[in-house]
Amino acid sequence: MVSKMSQVLLRLLAALLAVCACSFLVFAQDDPDPNSPAPVLMTESGTTRALTALVNGLQTTRTQHLRDQAFDADSNVTLYLTNIQVMKEEGASAFRVYVLDRNGTQYRFPVLDMQPAQGPRGTYALTVKLTDEFGFSAPPTPDGDIAIAVTWRGMISNFAKLGLGQTGGDIDSVLAAITAARAPAAAAHEETKVVRSKNIAPTRKGSSPSIVAAPEYVGYKWSGDRTRFMEQAAFGPEPNLDSRIRRIGLRTWLSEQFAASYPTFAYPNQPLKPGTQPADCDGDQINTVVDVPVTCFRDTYTMYPIQSWFMKESLYGNAPLKHRVAWALSQIWVTSGVGIQQSRHMVEWHKVLSNNAFGNFRTLMGQMTLHPTMGDYLDMNLSTKTNPNENYAREIMQLFTVGLFMLNQDGTLQYDGTGTPIPTYDQTGVNNLTKVLTGWTLCNNLSVTCPNAVSGSGNYIDPMVLTTGSHDTTAKTLLSYTGSTTTNIAACSNCTGGTSAQNAANITIYANNSMNQALDNLFYHPNVGPFISKNLIQQMVTSSPTAAYVGRVAAVFNDNGVGVRGDLKAVVKAILLDPEARGDNKTDPNYGKLREPVQFATNLLRDFNVRAANNSGQSDGVLTGRSEYTGMGELQFMSPTVFNYFPPGYIIPGTALLGPEFALMTTGTTIQRANFVNRMVFTAPAIAVSTDTNNGGSPLGTSLDFSDLQALSTADSTGGQLVDELNRRMMHGTMSAQMRSTILTAVTNIAASDSLNRSRQAVYLVATSSQYQVQR
Amino acid sequence: MNNDRRDFLKKSGTCALGMVAMATQMQFLGNMSAVAQRVMDEQKSQDISSPDAGYKALVLLFYQGGNDGNNMIIPNHNDGTISNYSAYFNARNTQGLAIPQASLLPINVPRLGNLTYGLHPNLGPLAINGTTIVNNGIHELWAPSVGTPSLAAVTNVGTLVQPLTKAQYALSAFKKPFQLFSHSDQVGQYQTANSSTQAFTGWGGRVSDNMTLPNNPGGLIPMITSIAGAQLFTAGQTTLPLAIADANTPLANVLNPAGFTGTGGAAKLTAFNSLRTQDLSSSYIAAASHVTDLAMAANTALASASDVTTAFPTTGLGRQLKQVARLIKDASSLSVTRQIFYVQVGSFDTHTSQPAGQGGLLTQVSQALRSFWDELGVQGMQSNVTTFTMSDFCRTFNPAGTGSAVGTDHAWGNHMLVMGGSVIGGDFYGSKRPDGTGNYFPTLVMGGPDDIDTGSSPRGRWLPTTSVDQYAATLARWYGLPQDALTLAQVFPNLANFPGTNSQLGFLP
Repeated sequence: MVSKMSQVLLRLLAALLAVCACSFLVFAQDDPDPNSPAPVLMTESGTTRALTALVNGLQTTRTQHLRDQAFDADSNVTLYLTNIQVMKEEGASAFRVYVLDRNGTQYRFPVLDMQPAQGPRGTYALTVKLTDEFGFSAPPTPDGDIAIAVTWRGMISNFAKLGLGQTGGDIDSVLAAITAARAPAAAAHEETKVVRSKNIAPTRKGSSPSIVAAPEYVGYKWSGDRTRFMEQAAFGPEPNLDSRIRRIGLRTWLSEQFAASYPTFAYPNQPLKPGTQPADCDGDQINTVVDVPVTCFRDTYTMYPIQSWFMKESLYGNAPLKHRVAWALSQIWVTSGVGIQQSRHMVEWHKVLSNNAFGNFRTLMGQMTLHPTMGDYLDMNLSTKTNPNENYAREIMQLFTVGLFMLNQDGTLQYDGTGTPIPTYDQTGVNNLTKVLTGWTLCNNLSVTCPNAVSGSGNYIDPMVLTTGSHDTTAKTLLSYTGSTTTNIAACSNCTGGTSAQNAANITIYANNSMNQALDNLFYHPNVGPFISKNLIQQMVTSSPTAAYVGRVAAVFNDNGVGVRGDLKAVVKAILLDPEARGDNKTDPNYGKLREPVQFATNLLRDFNVRAANNSGQSDGVLTGRSEYTGMGELQFMSPTVFNYFPPGYIIPGTALLGPEFALMTTGTTIQRANFVNRMVFTAPAIAVSTDTNNGGSPLGTSLDFSDLQALSTADSTGGQLVDELNRRMMHGTMSAQMRSTILTAVTNIAASDSLNRSRQAVYLVATSSQYQVQR
Repeated sequence: MNNDRRDFLKKSGTCALGMVAMATQMQFLGNMSAVAQRVMDEQKSQDISSPDAGYKALVLLFYQGGNDGNNMIIPNHNDGTISNYSAYFNARNTQGLAIPQASLLPINVPRLGNLTYGLHPNLGPLAINGTTIVNNGIHELWAPSVGTPSLAAVTNVGTLVQPLTKAQYALSAFKKPFQLFSHSDQVGQYQTANSSTQAFTGWGGRVSDNMTLPNNPGGLIPMITSIAGAQLFTAGQTTLPLAIADANTPLANVLNPAGFTGTGGAAKLTAFNSLRTQDLSSSYIAAASHVTDLAMAANTALASASDVTTAFPTTGLGRQLKQVARLIKDASSLSVTRQIFYVQVGSFDTHTSQPAGQGGLLTQVSQALRSFWDELGVQGMQSNVTTFTMSDFCRTFNPAGTGSAVGTDHAWGNHMLVMGGSVIGGDFYGSKRPDGTGNYFPTLVMGGPDDIDTGSSPRGRWLPTTSVDQYAATLARWYGLPQDALTLAQVFPNLANFPGTNSQLGFLP
């Protein structure tokens, strides 16, 4: 007979074995070939004219193949696509159709339908409406041929001709210009015959035999994709990280990161201080009382500690994925040193972000709602039944969970009968949620319920607590949507009439229940999946993701595969392993994102072995002391408003294109970006040691290391290897032949013996180029 | 390339950007807008009649966060037929938000039978001395001892799609601005002058789209300059703003890239410029290069900029307006006859601690505006420049909280100030309610005829009687925007919904 204890032991053993088996499986699992082939738009044999069929309604089966046919504007046309392998859930929304007219004006036509075509296997029929959906320019004139191409997973097809209104007109010169502009990125390497990799990869699928791509950049597990992965999932590529990922693969690395200890550098847990600066911590405004320690003011009442901690963690941390996701979440659940007084207050808020970065979104919602820093920033800590404050109630809906307008599950807007977007909620919704959230305040009582309270200072560590007398116990309505369960909270029935202790206890229960019901009401709103997924994709991968990509990630948000909603770990994995994020160099003209200043800086620094000013040891992460850094417009933890540094819906002026980070790209900041690079590259040490640590000086400073580049420069007096190395390291193989040649000219303008300045010249030109500043 | 486009480029002054800039301009004009096309066509068909001679500028001062206009312009009379000081005092005093009547700065309002109203005390001379107090503020411009009034107020302005009565507001058949009371949306609607849909371009940008070619041919910098980063207001279909730092940086350095003088510096600059003409098939690369092109061209133009002589307060807004004044001073050497500027001041979202918070901000506003006014006097440009305010929304008349922590929540109809030598100052402008009732000032009663809140605890959110569209169109007309129906419909798509001749409010000629 087996004792009870033994049974338990046996179960434990079994569980342990299962875990081992699982992890073995994880390690054994190979990443699938990330490359998606470029789609091929089929043409009439021997011509560049698109193979087409006119569609009646959406009846693609009843089409008539038409040769040399022109189509009326707004008619529906079927195009044929091949060389792609679609996943089973990929439909029309995975494709975008771009059009150029003879003037070079760009349009986008909506894709209505996608079906496997009758005929050869692997051919797909794409039904397209010949109507511009950008709505930015006047509609294309139906007076001749247009050039049309299809994009899929960030890859663009060939351009083909299509008659709009009539055939003819000189579209051929536009087509020729497009072909010329697409000088193959890899041709450069062929020229110099440099082969740096002994890791020979299989031949790239579908590549023309005339282009021999440098093996290191393309193909299965190509290093270029790994480099881009480090830009998306971390704060930039770095050799140790690269070799780790190369060894264990993306999936295993993700699993490793999900379990990694964070942070690598301890959070700067400065003690809480009073709201009014005491004389011994006031930056010596009252200079008769000396500050103790001398850095007290800087380390308490400015964002210096969290800013420099954040930068060190970004540059050197061992859990970059969690740091990266927390950074993304910090740009959704925004608080800011503009409104929050102490670095420690922001640290406590950041802990909630990082603790939940791989947790559940609902838990994050709950902890944020009662977080004292958020309470202070958006005034929920002052909202009472007699003086309600709508600030937090409004922003949790608008910015943190459901957004303003009803969304489809792929993130596109829903419209009412008149073509107007449908609001997600109205002022009544704000008023009611405000009532639900009344009565919560900082936990300042020096009692067991507030273990971290400090006499005379606000408690920004423990969750807020309820002042029962300030809670609104009247009835409330919640948002009503398809699938909503509880949409009414009844007035409290037992909050009055008892002893004051009973009443208080009942109000506390009622307030907590109400809050949970209201947060569940938001959490289960169908908008949350697409709203949050799209935002995270924009921050990590690409500014204007296809609806299909958003839809795939939103589906994972809605259900991680085992029935759990809001599993951020699964969401992050879905975002990073999606075929639209992975694979070959992306050629879709609207793929990628402008690097936000923080990541622009960290990527550059990590690329060149960033270190302290004296060239030994680590940088102190104090970039904030340099005007070139702050001038780029994204000082960490100092978002100007709750709307973040840039809005997710920002449209680049002069285009119809989503580009959130472009809100920070102005004539002023673009020059600051160049000057930041100049500072880091040409000044050694770039950020010097300053003894004035009381005023945000830089105790260790920061410098870059170009010694490996100098060796390359010395070894190859043509400069070719130097530039190719930067192509690999910084641009993961996307550098065009033209760009390479331009940079080489400037590099060889400097004497070959001056390897340092050759290296600097090359780094400066790559780093300041728009080609590098756009991550794609 | 077709000839029209080459022509357009030349005339629009992009030739000044040089060949490097041309390339990305071309890429951008690949997306050439309907507007540019039309302007171009007009240019072709007729020699554009010479535009209004002389220099004009519009300066938008945006109060970010939602300024509480209820505490900026206050009844200072005891007239029983219209909301008076008691109505104000009784609604706000208990919580500690009412400003004492004795401290109000009186202004006479002809439109309301010469009744006296009051400006917030911080808009006048202040006893405190310091770096932020350098002049007497703007109150005295309402009724100056010498010269004509050059400060006016436009009252109860707000985002609207069409005129609304309180009864209509409650009915779904009447169109209302989307997402009222939401910061980002209401800021957007003020800046786009379009409350019916989310727009990609601002009204400043659209005015610039229409006027750059005829008015600033050969301009060395864009028509619009923002001293506060890229803003929706400044974005047009073809317009990108010049965005520069404030006066802490001299104009000559404000866009100056460093590091082109040392070893290989010239070759570096050549490559730096050349790279921006490459790889433009990526829309994002093209967009980034285009911004840098503008910066490099403007940097050349600003190399020999001059400085101003008037003392400005060393506040954020003071430095922004000082930078604007420098650019105005150099307008002729920059070959611009029309300029639009954007400056802003933040932290008006006073859910808490409003008396100290808004008070300090209004001090900053008043001091900086007055220095700007005085400097324009030195330059002889007071009549050429009109400065006007906008803000997200007004705030609830009913306070939130009490004591020093007292604040207010998001509301709607608000009061705006307009300052300039061409302004017909010293009065209120705006409209009565659409049904002809009311005054040019909201009735200060919670749940009253101007409050859209109903039910047991109305907060006092005024239904605007004048639209942002009308306010902006009045400014744009003075600035010289063609008044044909097509242009107006394109720049102010909902303007035709409002009554009056092109909905002019009359505070500018």
